[in-house]
Amino acid sequence: MIGRIWGMARNDLAVWLRSPAAIAASLLPALGMGVLVAVLTNSVGQQPVALVVRGHGRFAQRMARIIQGDRDAYLLEKMTSADAERALGDQRVAAIIVIPENFDEALGSGDAAVDVYLNNVNIDLADDIRRSVTRSVAEFDAPQLGLLGELHGPARGVLLPNPYRVAIAEHDLRDTNVSFLQYQVIPIVVLIVISIGLLGTALLTARDFERGTAKMLVISPGGRLPLVIGRLVGGTLITFALITPLVALGFLTRYIPYCAEESEAPRWLTLVLSGPCGWRLPVPSWTHGLALIGLLTAVTLTTVGLGTLLGVALRDARLVTMTALNGAAYMFFLGGGFTTVPFLPDWIQIVSRLVPTRYAIDGLRQALFYPDLIGFGRDILVLSACAVSSVMLASLKLTRAWRRR
Amino acid sequence: MSSLRVFKASAALELAQLRGNRAFVVLTALAAVSFLAMVSLFGLTGAYAPVALIDLDGGPYAKRLVEALLGAHHSFALKSMSPDEARTALYSGRLVGIITIPAGFSADVENGTTVALDVRIDNVNVDLTNDVQRALPAAIVAFGRRHQFPGVRVQMVEHDVIPHDTGYIPYLVVSALALDAMVIAGILGAMATAREFEYGTVKLLRLSPASQAVMLAGKLAVSAAVAASALAVTLVAIVFVYGVVPVAPWTTAFTLLACVAIFTCLGAWIGALLKRTLAAVPLLFGLAMPFYIDSGALEPTRFDGEVIWRIAHLSPVYYAVGVLEWAFHGLRVTPEPIYLNLLVLLAIAVASAALTLGRLSKGVAR
Repeated sequence: MIGRIWGMARNDLAVWLRSPAAIAASLLPALGMGVLVAVLTNSVGQQPVALVVRGHGRFAQRMARIIQGDRDAYLLEKMTSADAERALGDQRVAAIIVIPENFDEALGSGDAAVDVYLNNVNIDLADDIRRSVTRSVAEFDAPQLGLLGELHGPARGVLLPNPYRVAIAEHDLRDTNVSFLQYQVIPIVVLIVISIGLLGTALLTARDFERGTAKMLVISPGGRLPLVIGRLVGGTLITFALITPLVALGFLTRYIPYCAEESEAPRWLTLVLSGPCGWRLPVPSWTHGLALIGLLTAVTLTTVGLGTLLGVALRDARLVTMTALNGAAYMFFLGGGFTTVPFLPDWIQIVSRLVPTRYAIDGLRQALFYPDLIGFGRDILVLSACAVSSVMLASLKLTRAWRRR
Repeated sequence: MSSLRVFKASAALELAQLRGNRAFVVLTALAAVSFLAMVSLFGLTGAYAPVALIDLDGGPYAKRLVEALLGAHHSFALKSMSPDEARTALYSGRLVGIITIPAGFSADVENGTTVALDVRIDNVNVDLTNDVQRALPAAIVAFGRRHQFPGVRVQMVEHDVIPHDTGYIPYLVVSALALDAMVIAGILGAMATAREFEYGTVKLLRLSPASQAVMLAGKLAVSAAVAASALAVTLVAIVFVYGVVPVAPWTTAFTLLACVAIFTCLGAWIGALLKRTLAAVPLLFGLAMPFYIDSGALEPTRFDGEVIWRIAHLSPVYYAVGVLEWAFHGLRVTPEPIYLNLLVLLAIAVASAALTLGRLSKGVAR
């Protein structure tokens, strides 16, 4: 029995590995999403801004130093007024911050201003700059409203009076911050699992019906059950064969030079390397490692079962491809890929509870980025239930479909 | 045989083929609407971070501070909670942070004493953390300015280049139209040519005495027409569901038609090269996202740096997004003037049609 199961699984694996189109179909959309995340990492957070310092007094210079010091917020370039206006018109900068000539005099009368000329093309970009400049300006009169003050001021028991009468004592939940790219890598891993598991198995199943090889399987002396199990094992092996090197790569990319934040590599090199550098997974403890393997196995089995069902239902490679690509995209986004589910409207949050990928993404993030495994029990339970039910249903449908041939 | 008759016959045959593949066409159109929904979901996460608010004071200044937090540049979606509820939600990743207004806040502020807000942040994601860290001082500044507390000497004065703000989702859905055009028209174009190789009918095309270019033009015209219809559905959704109405409707229509023409031809070329629909479809899906992102879809491309901006010029989506954002919102997202973007689109449409027909004819002749 085991030999027959293994034979079927090995055959599926061989067929799949000899189908570059199927491999491309499974990997390209996910890799496209990966490129998207890498580029997004470079475009979120920091915006190019011109700084024009017209004032020559010591307070104007101090204001300029505060703005220049906030490197997390801006990609700042000091310019003359004329250059800055040209840069704004040419879209080389998103805003111009001007410290006016009379800054020091106006400060004496409590009426100083920092002018911001903002390309408010959309509120996401505009609000980023508004928040950042407001913080820099506030830091002038209330130094503790700057980032260092938020983290190391009142939070450490040092509270300085400020004219706004409110300060911030920020306490971060964890010691290390996870970059935007690292955070979004998890859904990409899940998307790859969905694409390979769902599309790979669905294409193999549909192919049997299209080419008439399902008939040969039915009349083979191997018996239907081992062949059905073999198909599911094959789909699982295909998924593992591609996902294991990718996850392993995630643990190895920390050795790539220029990935460090303080690296002064040119921007184009940073961009090129942002994909591999972002694919850096933190090394988990053994308990979290086991959780990781459990979750990946459960989500793989779920998608393999769903893929088999899709193949049986549609029996056409082109339809299977389009349906699986659409389905994978919905499962990805509703599960929290590129989105943070709590940000979404209530009804979408309810819908996302019905999507297994949500539990996979939540569970994987918990296992990799959080010190504890809160919520892991629920995630693995839901995914295991989905895996068992989809595999059983797929076995049943596939046996029935082959019997009818 | 007249070219017109060949064209008509070829178009009728292609239409019959598409009728036979209704499910595939419907799924392709569904992909277009899916992209629209997905960019909307992405847009929703760009603002309003879910943050718990624990107000232990309840006084008038606490209320004003809450108003300032709510008005801080679309930053917070505040949820009143008990400390235990908030802690559980924070530790299970359902909140970005917890803001606690301490007891006696209003009295202390009234007396001129500086009060520290306790802020706990789940700093698992740098982007979200940065947004909260920057938004809090913005809210505090708004609070201080509203009460005109003495001692504030500097303020930011904002001068907007554009008289109105454009919401993130309205901005994103317009650029998604260009992405939709690429996916739908590209896939249908690829299918039209790849099918000839899959079914072996390419031999019949080769043996036909009629002009191969005209036959291909007939096939692609139908693919383009179907793609345009699917895109029209997306456009209707944008106008009536999202309420985003183009300020320049004719430019919108022209740009979308140009996109359909370009991407049908490019798709046909890819289909002829790969000779399999199964290979062409995922390739187009895979290319769509990088093309989309490097096209000014999320913000003007040049803000991402000169290298990315130069690369963006290789993608027709860049010019399409440039024209569409202007046509819908009156925004300029490319440094190049709109008429130049339009001319480039037109040139690409003409060139790709000629190039594709030429290449396909050669491919068939072989």
